Amino acid sequence: MKAFDELFQFSLLQAFRLAKNELNFTVRDTYGKGSPLKRKGTSLILLLFLCFSAAKAQNPAPPAVISGTVKDSRGDALPGVSVMLKGTQTGAISDNTGAYRISVPGAAGTLIFKFVGMETQEIPIGTKNVIDVVLKDSESRLDEVVVVGYGSMRKAEVTSAIASISAKDIKDLPQAGVDQMLQGKVSGVTVSNNGGQPGGGVSVQIRGNTSIGSNEPLYVVDGVIQQTSSSSISYDQLGGVGGQTTQSAIASLNPNDIESIDILKDASAQAIYGSRAANGVVLITTKRGKSGEGKVSYDAYYGLQTTPKMLDLMDLSQFADYSNKVRLESGEVLNTTIDPILEFQRPELLGKGTDWQEAIFQTGAIQNHQFAFSGGQSKTTYYLSMNYFDQEGTIIGSDYDRYTMRFNLDHEVKDWLKVGMSSSVGRNSQRVALTNGTEGIVNLAVYNSPAAPITTIDGDYATTISVGGFNFGNALNPVARAKLRKVTKIQNKATSNLYGEIIFNKNFKLRNELNFDFNNVENTAFQPSIITDQGIVIITPSRLMEQRDNSLYVSAVNYLNYNQVFNKHSVSAQLGHESQKTNNNYLSGTRQNLALNFESLSAGAQDGQSLNGGKGDWAMESWFARAGYTYNDKYSLNLSARRDGSSSFGPENRIGYFTAGSVGWTITNEEFAKGGNTLNYLKLRLGAGSVGNQSAGANNYTTNIRLFATGPFGSGGIPDNVGNPSLGWESVVTYNAGVDATLFNRRLELSVDVYDKTTTDMLMRSEMPVFSGIGANWDDIKSPFVNAGNMKNRGIDLSITSYNVTKPDFDWRTNVIFSHYKNTLKQLNSEEAELFRYTEYNNAVVLTRTVVGGPLGRFYGFVAEGLFGSVAEIQNSADQGIPVGPTGTWVGDVKFKDLNGDNVIDDKDVTFIGDPNPTFTYGISNSFRYKGLDLTVFLQGSYGGDILNYTRRTTERLNNPYVNQLADVTNRYSTSNPGGNMPRFNQWHNNNWRVSDRFIEDGSYLRIQNITLGYNLPSSIVSKVKMANARVYVTAQNLYTFSNYSGVSPELGAYNSDVLLQNVDNGNYPTPRTFNFGINVTF
Amino acid sequence: MKKKIFFLLLPFLFAGCKEDYLERPSQNGPTLETYYTTAEQVNGATGILYNVIWYNYIDKAFFAIGEVLGGNMWPAGDEFTSFKNFTVSGTDQAVSNSWGAFYKVAGTATVLLNTFEEKKKTVSDSRYLDHGIAEARFMRAVAYFYLARTFGDVPIVEDPVKMSETGQFNVPRYQQADVLKFVIEDLKFAEENLSANAAQPGRATSMSATGMMAKVYLYMKDFENAKLKAQQVINSNKYSLYPDYQKMFTSSLANNNQESIFALQWLADGGYSIGNAMQVYIGPSTLLGPLAGGGYSLFIPSVDLLNAYEPADKRRGWSIMEHGFTRSDWTNQNFPNGFVYDTTYTSSNDQALKLKTPTRSNALKYIVANDPGGKINGSFSSMNTYVLRYADILLIYAEAILGTSASTSDPEALRAFNEVRHRAGFPVSADMTSLNIDMILHERRVEFAFEGDFWYDIQRMGFDKAKVIIGAQERGIFGNNRVIQHLGVTLSSPSQLFLPIPTSELLNNPELANPAVPYY
Repeated sequence: MKAFDELFQFSLLQAFRLAKNELNFTVRDTYGKGSPLKRKGTSLILLLFLCFSAAKAQNPAPPAVISGTVKDSRGDALPGVSVMLKGTQTGAISDNTGAYRISVPGAAGTLIFKFVGMETQEIPIGTKNVIDVVLKDSESRLDEVVVVGYGSMRKAEVTSAIASISAKDIKDLPQAGVDQMLQGKVSGVTVSNNGGQPGGGVSVQIRGNTSIGSNEPLYVVDGVIQQTSSSSISYDQLGGVGGQTTQSAIASLNPNDIESIDILKDASAQAIYGSRAANGVVLITTKRGKSGEGKVSYDAYYGLQTTPKMLDLMDLSQFADYSNKVRLESGEVLNTTIDPILEFQRPELLGKGTDWQEAIFQTGAIQNHQFAFSGGQSKTTYYLSMNYFDQEGTIIGSDYDRYTMRFNLDHEVKDWLKVGMSSSVGRNSQRVALTNGTEGIVNLAVYNSPAAPITTIDGDYATTISVGGFNFGNALNPVARAKLRKVTKIQNKATSNLYGEIIFNKNFKLRNELNFDFNNVENTAFQPSIITDQGIVIITPSRLMEQRDNSLYVSAVNYLNYNQVFNKHSVSAQLGHESQKTNNNYLSGTRQNLALNFESLSAGAQDGQSLNGGKGDWAMESWFARAGYTYNDKYSLNLSARRDGSSSFGPENRIGYFTAGSVGWTITNEEFAKGGNTLNYLKLRLGAGSVGNQSAGANNYTTNIRLFATGPFGSGGIPDNVGNPSLGWESVVTYNAGVDATLFNRRLELSVDVYDKTTTDMLMRSEMPVFSGIGANWDDIKSPFVNAGNMKNRGIDLSITSYNVTKPDFDWRTNVIFSHYKNTLKQLNSEEAELFRYTEYNNAVVLTRTVVGGPLGRFYGFVAEGLFGSVAEIQNSADQGIPVGPTGTWVGDVKFKDLNGDNVIDDKDVTFIGDPNPTFTYGISNSFRYKGLDLTVFLQGSYGGDILNYTRRTTERLNNPYVNQLADVTNRYSTSNPGGNMPRFNQWHNNNWRVSDRFIEDGSYLRIQNITLGYNLPSSIVSKVKMANARVYVTAQNLYTFSNYSGVSPELGAYNSDVLLQNVDNGNYPTPRTFNFGINVTF
Repeated sequence: MKKKIFFLLLPFLFAGCKEDYLERPSQNGPTLETYYTTAEQVNGATGILYNVIWYNYIDKAFFAIGEVLGGNMWPAGDEFTSFKNFTVSGTDQAVSNSWGAFYKVAGTATVLLNTFEEKKKTVSDSRYLDHGIAEARFMRAVAYFYLARTFGDVPIVEDPVKMSETGQFNVPRYQQADVLKFVIEDLKFAEENLSANAAQPGRATSMSATGMMAKVYLYMKDFENAKLKAQQVINSNKYSLYPDYQKMFTSSLANNNQESIFALQWLADGGYSIGNAMQVYIGPSTLLGPLAGGGYSLFIPSVDLLNAYEPADKRRGWSIMEHGFTRSDWTNQNFPNGFVYDTTYTSSNDQALKLKTPTRSNALKYIVANDPGGKINGSFSSMNTYVLRYADILLIYAEAILGTSASTSDPEALRAFNEVRHRAGFPVSADMTSLNIDMILHERRVEFAFEGDFWYDIQRMGFDKAKVIIGAQERGIFGNNRVIQHLGVTLSSPSQLFLPIPTSELLNNPELANPAVPYY
């Protein structure tokens, strides 16, 4: 905590410096006529004064303090309601429970209660000390605004598919990133964690897979387009095999600062972002200060994370028994006797041995602390926050922490000029566990023998152990590897949006924004050289790779807004220009044989060192326009257009145009539909539009020369790629139809959207057969990027909110979201082209195949038809490709289906054996509130996707008596267990464990994702300690998963967010289960 | 006032960026338009043909194909079991790795030579480009020679770029004879256009092309041409046998020696894929573990090979580590005074100093350990991989003279043959006086053990003879007390002479499943 205290003070100072430089008017306001402040020493005190100033200001007057609660007509507490004393600047804001306190000079005044979407109420104070208020919805809440990109729009006028969620929906969730929090919350948005790695990657798909490349949506935080995709160094840089490296796209963003999230789901909404919007747009708005009494809040939680499930592997006595039996069985096959290992002759005496899963999994602590200060005077509002988040992984040697600070400010300089900024600085650091690969920690652990110890008696890590002259265990000790090898990524980030808004008159506004996003990333991969005193190699040689990436994104946006209402006509228009630019560079160096295993490049030997660097830039210039027209809140029309020019393409195709239009009809505003309590509100929406994608990487339109320094005959250069001068934009066209309805006296809210989305001219590297000699591997001459392919997504998004009970003291509501889509690849770059994904060293094993006419990334392999039960059955079946005999194809081996009927099982007898794409995903949330108690139960699920349980290929491989297996391999075929359902022990050929539908499992699941029980302390207690609000809560996250899946977790996401490699369980990092305790306090 | 500001700001709003705002060429290297304008740039590019693009073949598939199939080595890893048993399938990693590497070499060479041909149209003096073209064609020939021997009938791609533009991937398999003819044409061009002397040691010369032609002709059973080409190499007097056989394979100081006609060039400094990693996979853990973290003994000498050496043949001790083998110049943490190969291992407490592989031996060739005077970088060394050396030319010459005869006593054939044996320690008194094909095959086996070639020698004998040779081999290992756990393998189909085409390629191009067609 010391570090945090220092940071806290440091950040206050920094914030103050900013405040002092930019805003000394604020300080003056606070002080009345303050003298100029020069000395830094006083800054901290002054800043604190600034933050608490409102609280102090109330001291002098002999106050009558009025308090009370503000609720809506359903009895829901209304936070954020502005309570003002009429005719003065005195005001307060209601807190999370709807409670407010306001000091007034006397009884004569009137309080004004104001909230967006509600009818304003005025209540004379009179003699009352407590004034409870129920605010009614203003005419169908249509004055609510929705953020739409480059501005916001009245909800009444929205005609496209936009989903909004507020801070309330995602608060108190123990997750590092907002992307993870969206899981199951928004219809049409499919979120799956690519693993439980703290800060690790998340696959977010808005309405299916738009492209075979990146499907990550565009994140825009307070107008700043975020640079997203982010990975750590791969472990293979240290030697051996690599694993998953992606990080959560917006893990650097502090979720506690978020006010609202608006997701643009269809092209009519997205088109204003043109060529960067193809995968959908997530608009994130951070909290801002509100005029009135200052607020200090502290939110914190602390929790413990564990692995919800482990595989049922053999312990030592089971393993010894297994060893004895398979030696007998092997002996039978070889027609000889293989004696049991002496030490294993009495398995029952052996005990449990090493539980390697216990050894690599741990209970990890998670904690989060957030301080926020907000408030403002009449013309200035501010929001300051500091956050510390720390998460230990549930696999040893992995963790994540983050420090962030935010400063948001709005100020009215003149009646015609408003300025402000939203800025944030932060640092997050991740230590990555190697997962999803043959040498991943989980994979190493699950097959390591329970006979092998973790450490030797001398305290050194153990490698293998010799039992009866046979070696057990793995030279790659998973505990040693997890603890000794280290890949870390530290990201330093500063991002800011500075705006000035000129108000020419009430109809015309010009907004200018300058944005930047600066990232500095420190990547490190390190391993020491550990050789025991006995000369046994644990890891060697020592090696350190350090990499530094810098990137700077800047953009300037100017747009002119016009809004006018004539009688029943409401008209709006916008014209804007945006220029964006990024510069990036990196520098990386590796050295090995580090003196004293010191983690420093300067400790390394010059022999074998390497040094690399590179840089690049990218720019885009755009014009955009939008027009809207609404008649009498019944009929709305919205049009938008954008013209993008991008440096990613050659001169021929640099410019792209993206347009959209949508209409809406609010039927309940028609005379004939008015009144009646069954149908309170009904709106139809229709929209169409096009957006684009330019993610072809820089300079791929031309043939670049890759220079290399190290070659057998010196340096040189070879073509890095095959250029394609006519490379152009990928385009996505969406049609959307939607209905929003409120029914049964506003007890049921319903929103349904159906869509049809077509991607054309898909940007992809031409998928070439290997024999072409050019390809996509790092050391290939890269095949050209082409505009090829066509893909379709059709789907339905459904969201229902039901207010089941709305009594003053008791409230129960249910929210259900449902998303379904069907993804079909219509075309690729040629009729023969197909897409494959592989695993194992050098792509030896085909996992998925994607062909025209089907969905992406289906599993591909053999079809198993049970086991051979007799020699006669073998002789009457297709030739399995391996001669018949005890050491060839034999009784107890898997029988594969002869798919092409040629009576031979070979490469042609493979087919699609599973589809990882879910039929639908859903979320069900129930919230209860009884007086001060609140309870939320959130379930989330996925139905219909298959999983390729690749881990079982190892844990049920049954070919090696020295490695561990699942406990259920006792049910293998043997002459003494002829009814066994698993193949026999077979170390003579590999047929039994080739990829087949044996390893395909149903990945459907329903998960109790979150249960939160909270309690708001009564205001009688809270007010005694000068608090406005205090809440304590406990949370259980990922409590239980209902699933038939035999592996650890059915939530697998995609390997490095690759949509062609979804739901492959190859030693994944299991999503943790978390129990949390938290508090929210507001002063 | 407001109006003024409005007009002041208008230019900001409506001024677009300058035209070159979107013009952002790569900052990391030139583009093709401005490159390959000097001989230095062309030579730099062709350097890569000797190196990284071969890596996926050289590290493991090299042993799986040439040595495990051929019965010289026994594989310790599950993934190579099928090579021991002749049950190779299209999803085996050595299949995709070798296919991928050979075609990467062929493709890279082809892109370079086509690029140089295009560049020729834009320069006045194109001589510097011609040499690059010849070098690229030489390497393409070598790649297709490997392809034809490993996979038999294979596709030929002369313009990968065009293929990517049209998306027409349905190239058929071409008959092996035509693929070999294609190889000869490239080699002829290289022979005529490469310089006689290497500008840098290790570069292919016109004589390298001549030598490769001898090897290809022999494979084609064109004995007349094979003899002619071998003779040209012998008569050129550019090459001779290197006196220190062991050093030739265990020190990068011996790279590009007088015997080396063509070799792949590795560079320890380059690390992964640029350095030679063979020793990590085949070396003993006791030697390499502390040095490089490897030494997996993944491929070890077979019992059959151990039994093949004549007692007086010194090449056994120069090619294989067996109990008692020592090298005082190889030191590591466990062997500060020099390495000792000790197979008396009994328990894992011994594992730092002792190692008991299933055949109680490890290959010595291509193990360079700490390469005194040379260089290793972690796992990687600068040891060349020999593709063609003078001893091969001598034996090709002898075999070409033998031709289809049952035996020969041709003095030239005998002289060439015995020259190889003299270096192996056989005295002149033990000179052979008559040769037959089995003697030549035996000599080739022990001379080129672990050099990735023996399977091709067996295979080119045809199915019937290959079946006899493989059927007679002991492909098992030693159990306890050196009792042989016998494994015999019977070839059942001529298709086993070639590796299957990788499954993923068949999926990509179903045409590859059809019978081969002529190319010419």
